[in-house]
Amino acid sequence: MKLGLDYMITFENVGMRYDMGAEILQDVSFALDKGSFHFLVGPSGAGKTTLLKLLYLAHRPSRGLVNFFGKDLASLEREELPRLRRRIGVVFQDFRLFDHLTAFENVALPLRIKGASRNQVADHVEELLSWVGLEDRMHAKPATLSGGEKQRVAIARAVINKPDLLVADEPTGNVDPEMSRRLMHLFVELNKIGTTTVVATHDETLVKAIGAPVLSLNKGKLSHREAGTAFDGEAQ
Amino acid sequence: MWGRTLQFLPRSKDREGLLPWVIGVMLFLCALSVASAVAIGTGIERWSRDLASNVTVQIIVSDAAEREEQTNAVLRMLNATPGVESASVLANAEVMALVSPWLGDLPIDANLPIPSLIDVALDGTTPINMAALAERLEATAPGARLDDHQEWLSQILDLASVIQIVLTAVVAMVVLSTIAIVIFGCRAGLATHAEPIAIMHLMGAEDSMICRAFDVRYLIHGIKGGVFGIIFAVLTLWLVSNMAADVGEGLVSSVTPDVSMGYWLLLLPLVAALLTMTTARLTVRNALRDMM
Repeated sequence: MKLGLDYMITFENVGMRYDMGAEILQDVSFALDKGSFHFLVGPSGAGKTTLLKLLYLAHRPSRGLVNFFGKDLASLEREELPRLRRRIGVVFQDFRLFDHLTAFENVALPLRIKGASRNQVADHVEELLSWVGLEDRMHAKPATLSGGEKQRVAIARAVINKPDLLVADEPTGNVDPEMSRRLMHLFVELNKIGTTTVVATHDETLVKAIGAPVLSLNKGKLSHREAGTAFDGEAQ
Repeated sequence: MWGRTLQFLPRSKDREGLLPWVIGVMLFLCALSVASAVAIGTGIERWSRDLASNVTVQIIVSDAAEREEQTNAVLRMLNATPGVESASVLANAEVMALVSPWLGDLPIDANLPIPSLIDVALDGTTPINMAALAERLEATAPGARLDDHQEWLSQILDLASVIQIVLTAVVAMVVLSTIAIVIFGCRAGLATHAEPIAIMHLMGAEDSMICRAFDVRYLIHGIKGGVFGIIFAVLTLWLVSNMAADVGEGLVSSVTPDVSMGYWLLLLPLVAALLTMTTARLTVRNALRDMM
């Protein structure tokens, strides 16, 4: 698979191993176009989390070419990473909220890192927390929030900077079906306004309901499936 | 220097909570060592000055008439010597008081030959060649001995220099130990807060922003510890100088740390805070460089 540079993100023959261990990802190649929506599926241990970590720039690959927003990751200086990371929003499976900060303060962090003024922070955060239905829980700390509320705070924090790429790891894993549907609706809305979105999930019902293209990982190898089609090269 | 400080670290508990106390103890030891070294230096300077402005001439002759004749000759010679402000013979009672610690309070035989002592005050402006003066004294009075206190003073100066070197080494060790403790504390803090730091990095925080959060925290630790240490150090110095004042003028009081001379000690908490903060900054910056 030969990928051009006109995509927002490209992975070409990417391999990943930790230290001297076995390769977790093998020859992974794919491209994400601006404004696209992809699901990432695969059984536990298939390498989904590792691929997501590469997508949100927590690691560099052991081999292969990775291109982010027109920049080759291999030649990127460490000092250039923060600027790129600010263009990526991440929703972690375990939320990773700061327990000593309120919902408002957690969501405000990316804006404050970017250097937004106090007024800008207040306006944007309040607006976004209202959008995710947490206007009454702004000053609550994570310990007092339900799983669904924490997930919505985590999503608000991931999207507050209007990222170019949103990466979500099992965002519906800890919520009931109704909340799961509402959260996915939120991702679709974000995608509609131009945010490239990658959602890792085990929930095939959700994948079918949204009908977006699927990246499927199995034993470190990636296969592609367009919306509504079977996986290429893999039995279903 | 500060830029934007975003305090994302949770309040420190357990291990970091002890750091101000450790810094305080270190500063206390450092302040006492520095104050002692300075006091010894000042005391030595005072002794040297006092002793350099004074010499003693002894007339050691057993025959009383001969002793008196030589004493008068020496007095005449000294009073005519440029650089000598005054020369006076110590009264017999004063000489007896000086030897009483060795001879006790028992009645002394009137025939016991006691040397004459001449106290010579120098004007401090005209330099005097002591070797030449000793030769002239011997020519004037064969029983005259000049004591310019140099032998005793050089021994004291040697001792004082050794003590000052030891105290300087103590200060250096305390400073190095403090740096090591802050580095260990900082590394423990980095390990404890690894998760928030990783999340901040992933949200696009630069190393400088993360460093500043640690800077502020360790600056506060340093100030707390510094203030605590200096309060106890000043109290200790005040107590010691008061006790020394009760002893009276002499060897002890001249080398006792004087709290009034140590206003500069108040700068030590600031130095401790800056040292703590700088050490933390370098430690955190180095550790962050190893992260992606």
